[in-house]
Amino acid sequence: MVGQELLPKICSQQIVEKVFVLTRRIGVLPSHRKIEVVRGDVTRPDLGLQYDLRQSVAQATTTIIHGAAETSFSSDLSPARAVNVAGTEHMMRFAADCPRLKAFCHLSTVYVSGKRTGTIREEDLEHNFGFVNAYEQSKYEAEQLVASQAQRLPATVVRLSTILGRSLDGAVTKSGAIHYALRFFFHSLAPMVPGKKESPVDLIASDYAAESIALATFDQFTPGSTWHICGGSDAFSLEQFLEETLQLFYKNRPAWRKRAIEKPAIVNLETFYLFVRSVEELGESVLKNSVAVLKSFAPQLAYPKLISDASTQHVLQRSGLARPEIRDYYPKVIRFLLENNWEATPLEQARL
Amino acid sequence: MNLGVSAIEYVLPSKSLSVRELEQAGLLVSSSEQLHSFGFDRCYISEESADELARRAAVALLGNCGVRPDAVDLLLYAGAIAPSHHIAGEHFLSSFNYPATKLQYELSLTHASVVGISQAGCMGLTYAVQVASDYLRGNGQAQYVLCVSADVLPNGVPREILYNVISDGACALMVTRNSSQNRILAHRSVTKGYYWDCIARKNEILAAYFPTAKNLVQDLLRGAGCAPEDLRIVLPHNVSYRSWEILLDLIGVKKEQLFAANISQKGHVIAADNWINLKDAMNANLLIPGDKLLAFNFGFGANWAATLIEH
Repeated sequence: MVGQELLPKICSQQIVEKVFVLTRRIGVLPSHRKIEVVRGDVTRPDLGLQYDLRQSVAQATTTIIHGAAETSFSSDLSPARAVNVAGTEHMMRFAADCPRLKAFCHLSTVYVSGKRTGTIREEDLEHNFGFVNAYEQSKYEAEQLVASQAQRLPATVVRLSTILGRSLDGAVTKSGAIHYALRFFFHSLAPMVPGKKESPVDLIASDYAAESIALATFDQFTPGSTWHICGGSDAFSLEQFLEETLQLFYKNRPAWRKRAIEKPAIVNLETFYLFVRSVEELGESVLKNSVAVLKSFAPQLAYPKLISDASTQHVLQRSGLARPEIRDYYPKVIRFLLENNWEATPLEQARL
Repeated sequence: MNLGVSAIEYVLPSKSLSVRELEQAGLLVSSSEQLHSFGFDRCYISEESADELARRAAVALLGNCGVRPDAVDLLLYAGAIAPSHHIAGEHFLSSFNYPATKLQYELSLTHASVVGISQAGCMGLTYAVQVASDYLRGNGQAQYVLCVSADVLPNGVPREILYNVISDGACALMVTRNSSQNRILAHRSVTKGYYWDCIARKNEILAAYFPTAKNLVQDLLRGAGCAPEDLRIVLPHNVSYRSWEILLDLIGVKKEQLFAANISQKGHVIAADNWINLKDAMNANLLIPGDKLLAFNFGFGANWAATLIEH
């Protein structure tokens, strides 16, 4: 989700001479003289690299940012583990073969906290509350793996919240579940969301995420640290989020008002799943698609939590990196999505 | 003024089929098992016309309510589907043969003006009650408004609409200026034209149903100073019990407060459900004077309505 924003930041680091981008598919990547694309696959023990290539990359590597992940919230546990857990294990094994390695940055999610409620701090990891989806569980297990190697690997963990769009102009470079859910709301296909009125909806700007990762990896790298790149105290409540979204739809599409589409009702988890089960039993594919997206991540809202970024903010503010305020950039993101007919725009095409 | 529904009568056809029998006859879209899991066991199918069912319901009402036919000031005739509003004939002019006017003649409602209420789907009879209330408020001399609804689905069409099992039937009720029971305390309705095309917007209607219903009911109760727990019973429209389980949670009403018995046995009698349910709840001695009742209804169009009644 953040790769397209992150690469230019990495390339802009003076100490970085070359950036190897290990990728399974050659997609849309920002072009830069420092970038060398290496086709590989983290699910394979050798990362899918020929021996010589693997050796040469390992010899040259001083920093690893491990962001390869199965991010689909609807994925089953087995394929999620294959990428997120085994992939991490393979990357750490590769890291052990890098003689000049100074930093290993593991990108994770604040939702390794799963079904925990209350305040979640950077130092919190282990719990037995369970998870909303396989993505959360597999990322949790991956973090445990990283933690188990703390003595041997100079590693930091950067937990990201839900990435919404760029704070500058609202550009969305890759659509995620949150964008699909907003689209369903706009089209009157999101009848209800589980949660509580006061459940925080934690979102972050993609540029903030990228800059934070760069800081955590380079200037402020500290082995054994964990970062929370999240909205923290600057989060809408679920009720505010739905109302704000409705008002932004009205503002950006005045004619939409006459559709009189209601905000999704906030319901308890039991009722939400009863609705989901009912829709799944019906033959309505459009509504099924909407429900499939919502059920993959929205139940997280039924486990209200405040993701604390107190320790992270302490470092970021000292480094001059301010967290964009959600009330400033959320309207830009909604405008961008509406103007682009809900399509994400790869970085090169994004309007600056 | 104690505007209220002083009397109710309804007529269901004698023929009744189980969902299994409907399935075997090719009259369902979904499987009988699925509809059974949604709370439906059977429905009623008429071999008589809608206007005949309406006549029988109205005759029964006038026979029981103690109101002389010539004392009725207004007849409101509701029907959800177009065939309910004319008496079919070969000639084009038969399109103007209105069952409401015929009923006025047959029942000797010699002083009653006659108005048809159409294009409100399953909301027709509820709208009729609302119009009747407004009419009585606006006409100081008027005392009685007879509201009738009747619908019979065309022969051979599926008995399932949006996963609900549909019954034919008719209901007649008297809205009275000084009613000793079933006082209309408050009413809210909303029409959302965006959903007018019930085929193209089927998914959106299914999705819009719940949040719109929730907001409407909560607005009604809030405005009337009535808490959900103050309701003796909720009179449903007989859509799937599954959908009611969801809606009850949204509006903060317990399952025990729902008068649900008729959903499985009578099916969705188009515009008549709420009032058939009120009649049956009264017959079952579930109500005592002063009980507060909530009637909620939805009809294609798209219309949502909620009525707060004091028994």
